[in-house]
Amino acid sequence: MTTAQPSSQTACATAPSAAQVEASCRLPVLFLAFSGAAWLCAGAVLALLASVQLYNPAFMEGCPWVTYGRLRPAAVNALAYGFALQSSFALALWLIARLGRVELSAPLGLTIAAKFWNVAVTVGVFGILAGDATGFDLLEFPLYAALPLFASYACLAAWALVTLHQRTERELYVSLWFVVAALLWFPWTLSTAQGLLLGWRPTGVVQAIVAGWFGQNLLQLVLTGSALAVLFYFVPKTVNRPLANPGLARAGFWLLLLIGGWGGLAQLAAVPAWIPAVSGAANFLVIVPVLALLVSLWQTAEGKIAESWKENATFRFLLVAAILLLGVTLRTAFLGGASMQFTFFAAARTDIVLLGVFGLAALGALHHIVPRLTTGDDELPSSGLADLAFWAAVLGMLGVGVGFSLAGFGQGAVNASASKDFLKDGVTGIAGNLKLVTAGYAALTVAALAFLANFGLAVRRCCANCCGGAR
Amino acid sequence: MKYGPILGAGAMFSLACSWAALVMAPQIQLGSLAPAALPNSTEIYPPARPGLAAQGAEVYRSLGCAQCHTRAVRQTQALYGVRLNELGGPASLVPGGADGKPLNLDLLLALAAVRHDLAIAPVPLPPALAGDTNVAPKFGLFETNRAILLRNDVKSGITRPSSGPTVNELAAKLPATILEKVSVEEGERGVKFLSDAGAKAELTFYNFGPDLDRGWGARRTVAQDYVNDSPVLLGGVRVGPDLAGLGTRAPEKFAAPWKYASTNTAAEFEQHLLVHLYNPRLLAKESICPSAGYLFDKQKPEVRFAGEPLAVPGKDTPVFPKHEARALVAYLLTQRADVGVADAPVPAVAKAPAPKTAGTNAPAKP
Repeated sequence: MTTAQPSSQTACATAPSAAQVEASCRLPVLFLAFSGAAWLCAGAVLALLASVQLYNPAFMEGCPWVTYGRLRPAAVNALAYGFALQSSFALALWLIARLGRVELSAPLGLTIAAKFWNVAVTVGVFGILAGDATGFDLLEFPLYAALPLFASYACLAAWALVTLHQRTERELYVSLWFVVAALLWFPWTLSTAQGLLLGWRPTGVVQAIVAGWFGQNLLQLVLTGSALAVLFYFVPKTVNRPLANPGLARAGFWLLLLIGGWGGLAQLAAVPAWIPAVSGAANFLVIVPVLALLVSLWQTAEGKIAESWKENATFRFLLVAAILLLGVTLRTAFLGGASMQFTFFAAARTDIVLLGVFGLAALGALHHIVPRLTTGDDELPSSGLADLAFWAAVLGMLGVGVGFSLAGFGQGAVNASASKDFLKDGVTGIAGNLKLVTAGYAALTVAALAFLANFGLAVRRCCANCCGGAR
Repeated sequence: MKYGPILGAGAMFSLACSWAALVMAPQIQLGSLAPAALPNSTEIYPPARPGLAAQGAEVYRSLGCAQCHTRAVRQTQALYGVRLNELGGPASLVPGGADGKPLNLDLLLALAAVRHDLAIAPVPLPPALAGDTNVAPKFGLFETNRAILLRNDVKSGITRPSSGPTVNELAAKLPATILEKVSVEEGERGVKFLSDAGAKAELTFYNFGPDLDRGWGARRTVAQDYVNDSPVLLGGVRVGPDLAGLGTRAPEKFAAPWKYASTNTAAEFEQHLLVHLYNPRLLAKESICPSAGYLFDKQKPEVRFAGEPLAVPGKDTPVFPKHEARALVAYLLTQRADVGVADAPVPAVAKAPAPKTAGTNAPAKP
């Protein structure tokens, strides 16, 4: 800031106004946000249907398209690619435009690329239901969906980076670090994993290792990173203070980048022992950066948390997302090893990161962004629907997380001792917990619908304003 | 931070680190694994899947069976033992045992050194051999060494029982289990002692773990087991039983135990798996596995070879398994990851009993 470079001077002179920035974001960000929420709804419904089959096998029996083995991967991938990644694009574009004080380049192109992304996700979900799943967690889309997915991502990321390059505010804020890392990181991991698993196909368990590495990068760095970008943007904004302790945030950021990609393989079976050992150690070490980042946020908001909770819908979402981030990090560190291998406890991490850490942070951010881009207000038209979305999402997340975790403890006990009966203790014995999971997905569906309804109201009000009272 | 490229380079560097460690390094270590000959055998493991089973692997992937079934057996502990197979060659044997059997006097001393909990009885020189200048000194030497051994016992605080079984009886009936469920060092030491005495001994293996107790396999699964698979479907959650050793699983080890009704066990096993696909709850009432009834025809299909119809329990008319059902069963029958490989041996004889009994036969702690 102190060294006045000629280029930045001219840049400052031509910096667009907030209204201009928002106008450029309107089409692509609203489209991505709306499709993301719609996929959240669709994915939660698919996951709900799948979870019912875990205790009621006769439910929708007799059709291969809706059997558990296809519904569950369809649900997880719809949530990961349709909801989570798509919403993360919306957030990334918004953060780059706002923090860089720059108009989005090629908003129409971005919208078209986003459209293709949605087509690819739809094709992929139907591909899984039709039986073309690849069999790798979080990477189940068949090749004919994976390629267009990567192509549309390349367009989205390229335009996002072009916009970033044109920013008039040269200083990169913490949120943008996470956004840039995710924008560079995701295409590398995705292309590596797709190239290896769908193209070249290495021998044997290397495939499982690559899939685990990709899943870890997607969950820990791309999606958790996006959630942190949102937290670092909205927490100081909501409490109206500058970020306390940016040095801590910087250390946390670099450590998370360095350590985050090493976890995720701690529960892999039939691989050389050093791989789970290294991953397990990384799962522990990652507590340090996560704590550093959360402490930095805590110091920023300290003393104003209760006040902001009451006043601001976005802040409520973010607070729960931050607590979940801490929870899922500790949970993976302490119970992410052999004791909970092959159980729902381990599998639930995907759900908690997708829907809890990232999902709640994204919904919270969208409760601020969508009204800014439509009506120009700071909040969505219906505060009742916003409350409903919040409580349904939190309760839903609790249901899914607690239900799967308790079921996992039951399965873990069966795995640990042959004296337990597999069917009685490990299958029918956990049915009650899995019913909680079904209720959780139902609540998450309600949350998505409440947000979509609020979204619709905002768009309608915006249109009514623009059309100058056509009615 | 002001410069995007620095940020980008840092991010790329940290990604490159995790890529090198978790993608490149495993590929270097495991990428060249291939089906290979088993130890001391010409048999190739894992064997190539026959065509029908290879098609079944695709059905397994397509239906998402791996969402509920793992194919990975875990093992919590591996212990070792020593088995004595032969007393030894002519050079180490002397005549003079009971019933005219030969004796290996060095072996008796070695056994006594390995098994501190057994007494070593004196071996009298048979009167018939008293004049044999080849044999008699050996008996004298044995008695001297035995005395030294017993003196050393006292020094190192070993008290052998005065009555009960002796190492002499242990060596009389072959093959004999010398050590059971001991550490690898103790096992290898035992084999070395016995081999040095001219006998033929081998290391035996005991694998433990809840999965093995449940009868899901004979050993843990290792990377070698999956080199013929693509995609490799290890599974992540055990909603259903593990399948890595399904092809050799005993009927009583199923989640819902059953029994063979005839001697044609192969056909019956196949039949059992087909019924499981048709409706798992006909075999296990509590099963939550969805029925794959769509893999079966109700009418005899109009193809030249429709295969044998499947008699469904509790149903008058048989159903006709489609090609996919037969392929899937063929694939399941190839799941037999219980052949001993170099880094995961299996017990050569009877399966190890539950670990509760571990240590009863182990040597007493000095």
